[in-house]
Amino acid sequence: MFHKVLIANRGEIAVRIIRACREMGIATVAVYSEADKDALHAMLADEAICIGPAKSSQSYLNMESILSATVAMKADAIHPGFGFLSENSKFVTLCEKCNITFIGPSADVINKMGNKAEARNTMIQAGVPVVPGSEEPIYTFEEGEKIADAIGYPVIVKAASGGGGKGMRIVHKKEEFHSNFLTAQRESVLAFGDDTMYVEKYIEHPRHIEFQILADNYGNVIHLGERDCSIQRRHQKLIEEAPSVALSDELRQKMGEAAIKAAKAAGYTNAGTIEFLLDKYNNFYFIEMNTRVQVEHGVTEIVTGIDIIKEQIRIAAGLPLSVTQEDVCIKGHAIECRINAENPEKNFAPCPGKINNIHFPGGNGIRIDSAIYNGYHIPPHYDSMILKLIVFDKNRELAIQKMNSALGELVIEGIETNLEFQYEVLNHEKFKKGETNTHFIQTYFSK
Amino acid sequence: MIRDFFKKTPIQQRKNESGKEPEIPTGLWRKCNKCGAAIYTEDVIEGHYICPKCNGYFRMHAYRRIEQIIDEGTFNEWDKDLAFYNPLHFSGYEKKVRELQEKTNLDEAIITGKGLICGSETVIGVMDARFLMASMGHNVGEKIARAVERATKEKLPVILFTCSGGARMQEGIVSLMQMAKTSAALKKHSEAGLLYITVLTDPTTGGVTASFAMLGDIILAEPNALIGFAGPRVIEQTMKQKLPAGFQRSEFLLDHGFVDSIVKREEMKDTLSKILKLHKKECVKECVCNKIEIVNLENIKQIEQLNVEQSKLEGQSVEHENDGESNDCNDEQNKEQLKVEKQEESFVDAWSRVLVSRMDKRPTGLDYINVLFDDFIELHGDRCYGDDGAIVGGIGWFHNIPVTVIAQQKGKNVKDNIKRNFGMPSPEGYRKALRLMKEAEKFHRPIICLVDTPGAFCGMEAEERGQGEAIAKNLYEMSNITVPILSIVIGEGGSGGALAMAVADEVWMLENAIYSILSPEGFASILWKDAKRASEAAEIMKITSYDLQKLGMIEQIIPEKEPATMENIENIKKELEERLLQFLEVYTKISKEALIEHRYNRFRNM
Repeated sequence: MFHKVLIANRGEIAVRIIRACREMGIATVAVYSEADKDALHAMLADEAICIGPAKSSQSYLNMESILSATVAMKADAIHPGFGFLSENSKFVTLCEKCNITFIGPSADVINKMGNKAEARNTMIQAGVPVVPGSEEPIYTFEEGEKIADAIGYPVIVKAASGGGGKGMRIVHKKEEFHSNFLTAQRESVLAFGDDTMYVEKYIEHPRHIEFQILADNYGNVIHLGERDCSIQRRHQKLIEEAPSVALSDELRQKMGEAAIKAAKAAGYTNAGTIEFLLDKYNNFYFIEMNTRVQVEHGVTEIVTGIDIIKEQIRIAAGLPLSVTQEDVCIKGHAIECRINAENPEKNFAPCPGKINNIHFPGGNGIRIDSAIYNGYHIPPHYDSMILKLIVFDKNRELAIQKMNSALGELVIEGIETNLEFQYEVLNHEKFKKGETNTHFIQTYFSK
Repeated sequence: MIRDFFKKTPIQQRKNESGKEPEIPTGLWRKCNKCGAAIYTEDVIEGHYICPKCNGYFRMHAYRRIEQIIDEGTFNEWDKDLAFYNPLHFSGYEKKVRELQEKTNLDEAIITGKGLICGSETVIGVMDARFLMASMGHNVGEKIARAVERATKEKLPVILFTCSGGARMQEGIVSLMQMAKTSAALKKHSEAGLLYITVLTDPTTGGVTASFAMLGDIILAEPNALIGFAGPRVIEQTMKQKLPAGFQRSEFLLDHGFVDSIVKREEMKDTLSKILKLHKKECVKECVCNKIEIVNLENIKQIEQLNVEQSKLEGQSVEHENDGESNDCNDEQNKEQLKVEKQEESFVDAWSRVLVSRMDKRPTGLDYINVLFDDFIELHGDRCYGDDGAIVGGIGWFHNIPVTVIAQQKGKNVKDNIKRNFGMPSPEGYRKALRLMKEAEKFHRPIICLVDTPGAFCGMEAEERGQGEAIAKNLYEMSNITVPILSIVIGEGGSGGALAMAVADEVWMLENAIYSILSPEGFASILWKDAKRASEAAEIMKITSYDLQKLGMIEQIIPEKEPATMENIENIKKELEERLLQFLEVYTKISKEALIEHRYNRFRNM
């Protein structure tokens, strides 16, 4: 087992990892930027070292600084958390060159899964269903139309270099294909200087269902069930829950097996997540694999009783999984609300600042993962998520009630947060009924 | 502070199971000498020796450069074993050189040889700053001179990557003479009609700048390279002047007209390959040289016939076209013509055309360049003073024919217009145009000029730099350039500023273009002291394409079914393409003498 682990991250996830290490008796090293010297993770770790200025490109993304810090502090492993360097294959390679264990998958797997086309082809070969669409890049509308005809409308036309909705069009009818394709392509050429397009089946109002995977170095791959992350605002998840109301035991088993197949096909080790879209007819399609721990891993931990961070560390240290698939048993229902320092009144603009007063709810079935404390200054340089409130109860209905109560008790003064917004979403009739999909916020909460 | 209350993890005895301590292997990182950041060495090597953090360029070893530019396995090095030469018997010089040879694996500050760039054969020389700051000693000059002479003999282009601190102190006056030696060899190479490209890299200074570095037919530079004659330290010390930021950097030279183009390292090979292909003997021969059949004035007649037919096809009045005998149209004839004209065009008055020709939405020179020519490479600068944004020039392909294209360029918005000076060229613009035409002549490339200017720039600066002289020089020189010249007025053809790019074998106009002695506003204000009567002036000035065709000032009108915009530019492109092909087909067959004679007569008869 490792003697000392360096956590190459900040905020609540760094704190989460430090806690796991403390429980395991592993010494911890926190890294922090100049803006983070009073951050909780830097205080809680056994040792802390400054790695550069506030800008993440010069600190939390600065590979050279982080590797030098690891060597200087004599840590034998790095836990990358999520974001920052967690899915940077070059960083993984460099760790290896410096005799440092990277707690996560290999550089090859990160590359393979990070490349959309390659990930997709790997899944097709493994027999995991993917969203039907063009396998090769498309340049002319004739080619595109042929594929659209074959997979059936509606389809989505996407620019290979696209992002932020640019170069993207949903086409409902054949007659509209020509003009939509050309508009999307023109947009892409103007914005990215690239006319490479893809055509895919458009999945209407899907749910976002992801499966948590654990895989050790000895070929053992298990899944810890699913999380339903359909409540998203502009592709940012807001509420996650486990299990999903949309999955029967049978479907769960089927999707879980597909997820394991996917992880095996990728040659995956450590903790990872297979993301699927689930349509209203219970067809599911692989969309991507996240090769790191997820923000919402906590809901899975609560319903399975398995500590994912500890498993990550064990796997990286060369130990076999501590549980088998048979041991995994999903009990009760967990819901997580992400609390962000942002102002819903001002189009969710980030709202950093000083926390004057804080009160956390507590009691049975409440878990809070956070890095804020009374008097803490939230710096403006990083992600606005400051707290994850997770509740657990016997079933979904009770869990929603508990979340209602907990949100009502949570007090954060001094900055604006999305707490009220979360409250409204949670109490929406459709949410209560479990009738959610990825367009939920857009449908019911766009002003 | 809460930090003082947190309990720490009990320290365990460290057990090292693997026996491998975390450590950073030597050489994994290196320091960028520009921004000071530590950078991953492999990134630098894979990234063309460019700092991934600050984008600064590292100086490159000559052999690495060869690997980057020359096709693998095709480099054949020349003159690697020149005997050491110490003309002044400078003490310690030999020892120093031997040590450097040992250390750098170079025999001198330059390597020369022959190789392929994307399949195109070329002679290449690359200097290396590690060798006495790539100063120019006898052997450097000798290697360059030999390489250039051999290139002349083998009819090959020469590419030199320059970088030098200047003269080699240890060799005294002998070092100075290398400037003359290399320049003279290059002159012979140029006289043989061969291409010479220089690529200026950091730093190119002193005697190298003042000789072969600045003599390229095409001068490229790497971004932010220091390029100058006197080094900045020398200037600061002797002149006691504080130099501004960016002084003597590539971008500064580009602005001052001495560099054709700044090319990023990652695009260098591709750019060089494109330039070489545009200058390939086979291409030029195929397209032009072979067609120089013995042609005489008969062919000119053919051309005129063709134009007549073309006009007929378009159903336009061609009555005025001379039948080969006389040009003098008497007044009556003129009146006849005017009548015809009025009937035909009553639907569009001249003033409307003036307004259309000036419309913001009208495509500009670069728009036509983009749709008509492939792989266009813009070349900047007049090699004297500056680079004029109002004139864009360069080389590119038109249907597998290398051509030189020069366009007067208006801006698309206020910011762009400031850069383009609202399409009003300055003297440096006309000098750039002429420089590119002379180059076209050297490499037997037809010239296509796109005219679109309200007039030559009339500011004080333009006068200081000789606007009149610049225009006059163009009229004078263009009259006997030995390659075909076609000028197309695409918008406004404002006076002398337009004519300085329209002394051509044929002049065409887009249907809604205008071409005039001065603007209708100016005309009205001179003649009637009232610029408001511009529309009236437009009618009587005879400035539309139809008027000018009838006056015999232009050969062809390119129809615009609707006034040209970016939306319908493809239609105009189609109209132009066909005619351009025909023009090139005919004119490239004509002998130099006949061509000049034809151009002479075209204006002689006006």
